[in-house]
Amino acid sequence: MSEFFAMSGYGRYVWPAFAIGFGIVVLIYITAVSSLAAAKQDAKRRLEMNR
Amino acid sequence: MGTWTWFHRFGSPPWVYGFAARWAPWFGGAAVACMLIALYGGLVLAPPDYQQKDAFRIVYVHAPVATMSMAVYATMALAAAVGLIWRMKVAHAAAAASAPIGAWFTVATLATGMLWGKPMWGAYWVWDPRLTSELVLLFLYFGYMGLRAGIEDPQKADKASAMLAIVGAVNIPIIKYSVNWWNSLHQPATRLIGEADMVWSMVWPLLLMLAAFFLYFAWILLIRLRAELLRRERNASWIREVVA
Repeated sequence: MSEFFAMSGYGRYVWPAFAIGFGIVVLIYITAVSSLAAAKQDAKRRLEMNR
Repeated sequence: MGTWTWFHRFGSPPWVYGFAARWAPWFGGAAVACMLIALYGGLVLAPPDYQQKDAFRIVYVHAPVATMSMAVYATMALAAAVGLIWRMKVAHAAAAASAPIGAWFTVATLATGMLWGKPMWGAYWVWDPRLTSELVLLFLYFGYMGLRAGIEDPQKADKASAMLAIVGAVNIPIIKYSVNWWNSLHQPATRLIGEADMVWSMVWPLLLMLAAFFLYFAWILLIRLRAELLRRERNASWIREVVA
């Protein structure tokens, strides 16, 4: 198992690369979802104001 | 159903909004499933490279994000062109929705590339044609988003940013072929099919990861497209039905 994490001595490059790459994948998702939620909120507020 | 019927449907914001809401979860589920299987294949099942040892595994994150940084730009430029030519609001919205996704993919490309460059070349960064043109791509995304943010009138913003996106598309083949045209430190593209440069146990996780990232982009694009349509169509009557 420790051999797996060592990545033949390249662990300190391999793991940060995966962490940053997939961290950004998660971040892209979160920002997209929050952008949609904000747009929905905004649309609702406008509808209520115009009523 | 004829091509034109489809084209007209994709020109209709409420139809596209509904389509995006229905299809996004399917793309999301498929993307996550493929990513997990490909991660296992790339990190566990694939054998270490005979030259790069386990450092080569960075390819399973670097190549997909790098491919997407260019594919998203191509999508954005194409959508912008469709928007300009046919005055299609939905196409402009799709272009605008693509930009932040592409910018993040470009950041991921540069960061994972640096972490691969350091152990292989001895430096995080070199002013190499491939790396430099990828950095230019990031600035193109920033320029596109900045231009949109800076123009109040949505129609003018659509037009100006579309022109920038289309002109900037010239950078895509430059990135792609930089490793062949110039003497580059960056390795050329690995052949995955036909006379492949890697054994199959290395190849399939990469192909699957590439597919996963295209599905993932479709998923995120559909989410962002809905947000974009809600903001643009703020006074349209269909908005009442979808947010009520």
